[in-house]
Amino acid sequence: MAAQPKPLPSHQPSYLEGGGVLGWLTTIDHKRIAVMYLVSALFFMAFGGFEAMAIRVQLWRPDNHALSAATYNAFFTMHGTTMVFLVVMPLLLGFLGNFLIPLHIGARDVAFPRLNALSFWLALVAGILLHLGWIRGGLPDAGWFGYANLTERYFTPGLAIDWWVIGLLVSGTSTVLTGINFLTTIIAMRAPGMTYMRMPMFVWAQMVTSILILIAFPALTIGLIFLLFDRFFGTHFYVASAGATPILWQHLFWLFGHPEVYIMALPAFGIISEVIPAFSRKPLFGYPMMAYSICLIAFLSYGVWGHHMFATGMGPVADSAFAVTSMLIAIPTGVKIFSWIATVWGGSLRMTTAFYFALGMLLEFTLGGLSGIMHASAPIDLQQTDSYFVVAHFHYVLFGGVMFAILAAFYYWWPKITGRMLGERLGKWHFWLTVVGFNLTFFPMHILGLWGMPRRTYTYGADMGWTHLNQLETIGAFILGVAFLFFYLNIFKSLASGERAPADPWDGRSLEWSTASPPPAYNFATIPQIRGRDAWWILKYGRAGSRGVAAYISGQAPPPPQPGEPVSAPDIHMPAPSIFPLVLGLAVGMMGLGLIIDWYRIVLIGAAVAVLSIVGMGFEYADFGEESHDPEHAPSSGGVDVRKIGVWSFIGSECVFFASLISTFIVYKSRSVGGPGPRILNIPLTSFSTFILLMSSLLMVLALAATQRGDKRWERIWLGGVITFGLIFLSGQVYEFTSFYNEGMGLTTNLFSQSFFVLVGFHGAHVAIGVLWLSVLLLAASAGKLGQSRALSVELAGLYWHFVDVVWIVIFTLVYLMQAVPGA
Amino acid sequence: MSDIAESHGGQIRHPGAATYLIIAAFLAVLTAMEITVFYVHALHPVLVPVLIVLAAAKFSLVAMFYMHLKYDKWLLTGVFVFPLIIATLLLVSLILLFAYLSSHMTPVG
Repeated sequence: MAAQPKPLPSHQPSYLEGGGVLGWLTTIDHKRIAVMYLVSALFFMAFGGFEAMAIRVQLWRPDNHALSAATYNAFFTMHGTTMVFLVVMPLLLGFLGNFLIPLHIGARDVAFPRLNALSFWLALVAGILLHLGWIRGGLPDAGWFGYANLTERYFTPGLAIDWWVIGLLVSGTSTVLTGINFLTTIIAMRAPGMTYMRMPMFVWAQMVTSILILIAFPALTIGLIFLLFDRFFGTHFYVASAGATPILWQHLFWLFGHPEVYIMALPAFGIISEVIPAFSRKPLFGYPMMAYSICLIAFLSYGVWGHHMFATGMGPVADSAFAVTSMLIAIPTGVKIFSWIATVWGGSLRMTTAFYFALGMLLEFTLGGLSGIMHASAPIDLQQTDSYFVVAHFHYVLFGGVMFAILAAFYYWWPKITGRMLGERLGKWHFWLTVVGFNLTFFPMHILGLWGMPRRTYTYGADMGWTHLNQLETIGAFILGVAFLFFYLNIFKSLASGERAPADPWDGRSLEWSTASPPPAYNFATIPQIRGRDAWWILKYGRAGSRGVAAYISGQAPPPPQPGEPVSAPDIHMPAPSIFPLVLGLAVGMMGLGLIIDWYRIVLIGAAVAVLSIVGMGFEYADFGEESHDPEHAPSSGGVDVRKIGVWSFIGSECVFFASLISTFIVYKSRSVGGPGPRILNIPLTSFSTFILLMSSLLMVLALAATQRGDKRWERIWLGGVITFGLIFLSGQVYEFTSFYNEGMGLTTNLFSQSFFVLVGFHGAHVAIGVLWLSVLLLAASAGKLGQSRALSVELAGLYWHFVDVVWIVIFTLVYLMQAVPGA
Repeated sequence: MSDIAESHGGQIRHPGAATYLIIAAFLAVLTAMEITVFYVHALHPVLVPVLIVLAAAKFSLVAMFYMHLKYDKWLLTGVFVFPLIIATLLLVSLILLFAYLSSHMTPVG
């Protein structure tokens, strides 16, 4: 039964205590995973920061050769890749999202704790793969955007781009799993009474960010898969001489790339929306409009990718459409800026370091937003594109906006995470040095860009007149470096001898401040009942609003709730640690490594270990899935099981995955040069396969119905039938592929063949995974381990199977039956 | 046997075997119609719209009845339909953008 939160007595062990090294390696506690993300992000930030410094040293004077041109290319590529994928996103999602979402919504963990651990290990493996170029094959050097066809093996031989492709594929998988996990957690695991309009704004931001991840990352995944096929299997997805166009990469990359900006910016907005009210001692101004603005920004962000491509010549209609949507996005962003200012206005301000960084973010991000609006205008963008003006713009957004917010979050939540305060004096030094260093580094880039200095340039001539501003930027970069030394010093001092933090050091507003600093493993002794926004503030002082603030300031506020009766941890059931996420992460790393260094035995071993780990995870708990959560924690979403929401979220993401594949097929089939075309497709055979797959869906629902009514015999018969039909479908596909090969159409024959084989092959791989999944269920049924109580396991497999079916319905129509219809 | 079966926990009511068989029959008929449209040359002027309508019908039947969206919470429909709309917009946008590119492209070589 829900009750008011009981702050825990100080003697309760925190999540940081116990378990040793093995405890950390096998942890599935969201808070420990958050700390591991933090450590890995700070580690990679040192690399990214070093690369940035090296870039600035190279640009210190004209005609400089402090670095070779090749090293310079590698450094700016790895600086961007590292900061985006290995620092900023892990800090915002892996670290802050992981630590705070369950605490903010009154939950004991995320929806899928083991998947959460797997996400971390995959992210770490991705970071290591991306940096293995330091040891063998060289660092990637084609820019963080990896424009085709520079990334083709013909132009960039060696292993450097291979590390980049495989590393980003693994990183993307990790991020999508995190998105599914966070979205499911927020939908299904909010404490009783926490409606959507009562969630902290940080949770709103993370929820919308998760949706963006699910619809944005598949486009990058497909782009990378095409590149992988080009580099490893000799296809020509981005080779113009084969009729392909490198512009395809740009579309797929920026379909991901622009939402990615908001995948980083929205959580930063969420942070600022928590920090500013806490130190203004006012509720967030315009909460509903802030929530709607986040949604609108996310939606619009998916329709603005073309403004990165004005220079490619998309035509006046497309240019106009992308310009309008890009300008529109300023409206909800402006709503947020004004709401934050209105929150500060008239507040009882406490000028802490966290608040300094939040106010700094308001100013610096607004500057970045203003230069961003300029890029929405195609004619202006054509002047600025590929100049240092763009570098200035995105650093004002990503450092001035996002990194300032992350630093605000550090100073605000560090006491909750570690139980120690960060030093305010060192913090202020850190802040002012950051402001000075940041603006000295990046503001002159606007001017240099307008003067014509191209971005990514290795060096420049003395006659260009760019020397002094470049020197100013380099000085600024070193000041920024010193600022971060102050930050690291503050962290070490805090951990070594920092003042102990009380549970609620800032007189906070949200639920995380109701529990101990650092929190116990189970977060809350009892799941809180939520009565409004600013849940903890209401529990302390009554309804949020001016009366509560006035009572607090005048000293008439009621005393905060006293710690409840001691709660012994064994009374609260938490999921057990698991070794499988670590093993699976390592197995994926082995597969990636083996693929790159041509050691296919390692790939096979990795694949075998991966399959065994997945099966192991499946059978680790008796109910074939995540361990049951505390029964006290009733889902707030109307009783939908978290696993079902998770599978549907995955399916939603897969829609974009297959849409990217199908659109490439349609575009490329009519650009194909030489060799067989769509007429080669065998309609009678495929019609039969289609019928078989459709009927397998009938058998699947009959299997589910049998399971639900406890009919074990028919459960096994129908499941066996689905598997048989799936195998018949796959056999048809093998026959079809073999006959094409015998007729002279291989994977690399032409654009039609490669886009056909990749699309249909990926669908076939999905069918094969479905057959494996159902085979495991059939084995479980034969062992008497399925049954009515575990019907959900069959239903989840069925959802996946039906999705594979509906994808085939689309493929059968667009690829086979419309074979004579030209694409583009 | 009742045509409506309850799922575990009695929360969501799923259709029974009779409904599933009827849907399967519809799917088979719609597939047969698709193949017919493909082979009958007289129908080729309307090939694209007819095939799209038939595929959409099959897609909807599987999603609504076999994937139980008709019976499940609206939340799940939202989790599926929103990305589906985005995916459709992506597909149409890319086709249109590349159609323009092809019509204004300078031939290689």
